[in-house]
Amino acid sequence: MLLDATFARELEALRRRMEVRARSGSGGDHLARKRGGNAEFQEHRPYYPGDDLRRIDWLAFARTGEPMFKLFRSEEDVVVRLVVDASLSLDMGEPTKLEVAKKLAAAIGYMALAGSERTQVLAAGNGLSHVSEPTRGRATLPKLLRELDRITPNGGTDLARAIEQTVMRSPRPGMLVILSDFMDSGPFDAAVSRAAAAGHDVAMVQVLAREEIEPRYDGDFALEDAETGAIVEVTMDAAAIEAYLARLNKLLLGLRAIAKRNRATYVRVPNDEPILSAIRRFVARKID
Amino acid sequence: MGSVELLNPKGLWLLTGFVPLVIFYILKIKRQRIKVPSTWLWAEARRDLLAKSPFKKLIPELSLLLQILALLALTAALTRPALRGGRIDGDHVAIIIDTSASMGTLARGADGKDATRMAEALTAANDVLDALAPGADAIVIESSREPKVVSPLDRDVRKLKGALAQVAVRDVEGDLGIAVALGADRLRAVGGKRRIVVITDGALAHGGPVAAADIPTQVITVGDARDNAGIVRIDVRSGNDPATHREQAQVFVMLQNYAATPRDAYVTLSIDGHKDPKTSRRMLIPAHDKSPVVLTFSPDAIDYGKGMTVELSPPDALVIDDKAYARVPEGHKMPVTIASKVDYSWVMRALDADGDVDLQKLNLAQLATVNIDPEALVVVEGACPESIPGRDVLIVAPPEGNCLGIDVGKSVEQPQLTSWEAGDARFRFLTLDGVHLTKANPLAAQGAGASLARAGTVTIIGDASVPGRAATIVGFDVGESDWPLKASFVLFIRNIVEGARLHRSQGAVGPVRTGDPHRIALPADVTKITVDGPGMPEHDVDCKGGFAIVPPVERAGLYHAKWTTPHVGSVLVAANLTSEKESDITPRPVTVDATAGSSTSASRLADAHHEWGLWLALLATLLIAIDLFWLTRQSPAPKPKAERAT
Repeated sequence: MLLDATFARELEALRRRMEVRARSGSGGDHLARKRGGNAEFQEHRPYYPGDDLRRIDWLAFARTGEPMFKLFRSEEDVVVRLVVDASLSLDMGEPTKLEVAKKLAAAIGYMALAGSERTQVLAAGNGLSHVSEPTRGRATLPKLLRELDRITPNGGTDLARAIEQTVMRSPRPGMLVILSDFMDSGPFDAAVSRAAAAGHDVAMVQVLAREEIEPRYDGDFALEDAETGAIVEVTMDAAAIEAYLARLNKLLLGLRAIAKRNRATYVRVPNDEPILSAIRRFVARKID
Repeated sequence: MGSVELLNPKGLWLLTGFVPLVIFYILKIKRQRIKVPSTWLWAEARRDLLAKSPFKKLIPELSLLLQILALLALTAALTRPALRGGRIDGDHVAIIIDTSASMGTLARGADGKDATRMAEALTAANDVLDALAPGADAIVIESSREPKVVSPLDRDVRKLKGALAQVAVRDVEGDLGIAVALGADRLRAVGGKRRIVVITDGALAHGGPVAAADIPTQVITVGDARDNAGIVRIDVRSGNDPATHREQAQVFVMLQNYAATPRDAYVTLSIDGHKDPKTSRRMLIPAHDKSPVVLTFSPDAIDYGKGMTVELSPPDALVIDDKAYARVPEGHKMPVTIASKVDYSWVMRALDADGDVDLQKLNLAQLATVNIDPEALVVVEGACPESIPGRDVLIVAPPEGNCLGIDVGKSVEQPQLTSWEAGDARFRFLTLDGVHLTKANPLAAQGAGASLARAGTVTIIGDASVPGRAATIVGFDVGESDWPLKASFVLFIRNIVEGARLHRSQGAVGPVRTGDPHRIALPADVTKITVDGPGMPEHDVDCKGGFAIVPPVERAGLYHAKWTTPHVGSVLVAANLTSEKESDITPRPVTVDATAGSSTSASRLADAHHEWGLWLALLATLLIAIDLFWLTRQSPAPKPKAERAT
């Protein structure tokens, strides 16, 4: 079960603190970043030929004798896009990383729907493997959960490609929540940068298995890659584990740097961490 | 250490075991396989690790590596690699190399080339030098007839090897005992750990246990069993052909065959300056037996005194004993010079009657002026000059006073001959019984053998021989006795002549053997001679009293002794190995005198190798044990989640 009543109550309290730094353009509760549209008045400017005549402030014209054009700040809703890594590498751990990722996605999705945002679920593998229709309102929560339930682990990961495709098929930017283990050597950095440049509010939620963070092996092992089936023979000793942890740390620092560079959120969630704790950090838009 | 050799090269076949080993290794499953979300970071980590510690690359193949090493060690153990000469312990080492004639024995080397035992010994000696402990010094001693220090104690291996290069085979009998004693004596002068290493073929003329007191002694034997036949004795004399009665030189040669099979060989005699051999005979020498052979030839007048070579052919393993040298004996006619104060005497008559005597008659005054053959027997009657030319001397009726070192007393009347030295060659086949003397001058003979015939206690015939010259003094005038009427007188004169003939044929000193100092008889007034010969530079030797002592020679061959004052002359001396024991080249074990202290057993050079087989086998076992440990070691599985800290 992705959500239960107790957890939903906790989320209800948290959702109001969730800040979304992007606007998707249609009417909603959030002020749009771009000016214009039919919402709150912001300022006047001189009329230029070609401007919509309906937006001329006739009263101001009467007072000043100059045609003035009214500018409004749009009030737009936000599309929260939940990109869930559905590769086989997430089908590891106890609970599996995919289960944790889906729970986190469900929690974030709940908070978005409760805030009248539109929510969309996208499954990422070697690109986008499944894209749901955006939904809006609390009533669509079951649909959201069903969409998440439909995600099953399959194939490898090309997270950069999945993000690129998401950005390309999103005419309006929104909040882009990427839930993955980020064990991908692809050009992920560039993809995130392009998403941020396109106006997306990027949030990276990295789900890791405990044995990935603290490997406790000893002896000779043939490690089989869950996605590719590739074998890496490793003699596990202190030096080997130290070298692995150094590499892992480098990856985490890299993700942190990407997050900082793109004003994104980066939350690292071990698979045995309580979901609520991770959500609290997410809501606070932390960079772990 | 020296070169490594494989005593069992067939063991290399074990290397073919690599093929199944690698196949088995490829087939076997050895690692626990676990699935992880991603191997990306692990692969990166492994690359980092290998970059930091390249040897880690070998870790995954450690088992195969161990098995390959074990197989290599086993193969090496089977091939029995060994270092020649073994390990030499000791702070001070005496290396004694046998340089006796048998070390010149040829053997087919491993490379197919002929090599002498000496070459093998020098290789072993070099190996010993290479095996010296760091800081150790060594002395190199050459052991032939007399030991010789080739290099004093020295730490510089290069210098020691340089000294070894000078060591060569000598044509002499070997005597290891005194060389070992010399080595032990030198080592006793220094402290620390001492050791004697003897390198020999064991074929020694003077065998017996080697005593090295309390110094550990190691004997390295070189050479293998070889057939050999050689000339073990040679004698030369001048004689007459019994059929033609012509004068001929007779060479008596004794051949000995040490082989288990009869030896068919030619014995050839050739004379210096002649292209063609003088005579040759084919001989079948029985196995393990001696065979005499007499070679005769009629020498030309110019051949007298020349060198001649007797050669056994075809040559065998030991070449040096296949040749022997001698001097062509002088003509059978013995030159005799008689100087007398009378025109004709009984002695003159007796000499005239001998057909083999070339008699030169002089008066006493001519003795100092006429040229007299230096090999001649000189007979002086009625006088005793201070300087007498020729070789052997017979003085008859000397005057009172000193004669050749013997005091001649006043004449005594009617002396009665009572005894004589029947064993002396001069009294062979004769008796002085019934000889009556009218008067005689007593001789004051000193020393044993100086009195040849006596009248009571008075010597009337005495011996005044000195080295190089036989001198006989008859203390009475034979004309004043009835001795000339008896056969014994003629026999006595004949015996004197035969003795002189023998001395003449032998150069007065008899056959010379290499390794021994030898005397050369010379004219009495010669004071210095120059000697040269094979392997010997010309050098001067002082002489006195008609003979010279020449230091031991180490090469068989013909040696020339020349002199120029007071007149020009020369003599040829032949030196030969002629040693039955040295010609027996069968290697024999040399034992170290156990009573003299600690010892190591004598062994063949091959057995003196320092083998590593055992150590290599142990290494292989150790590697296999490590491999088994590696294979049977359990790789702990990842710990259950419950045990993990969250």
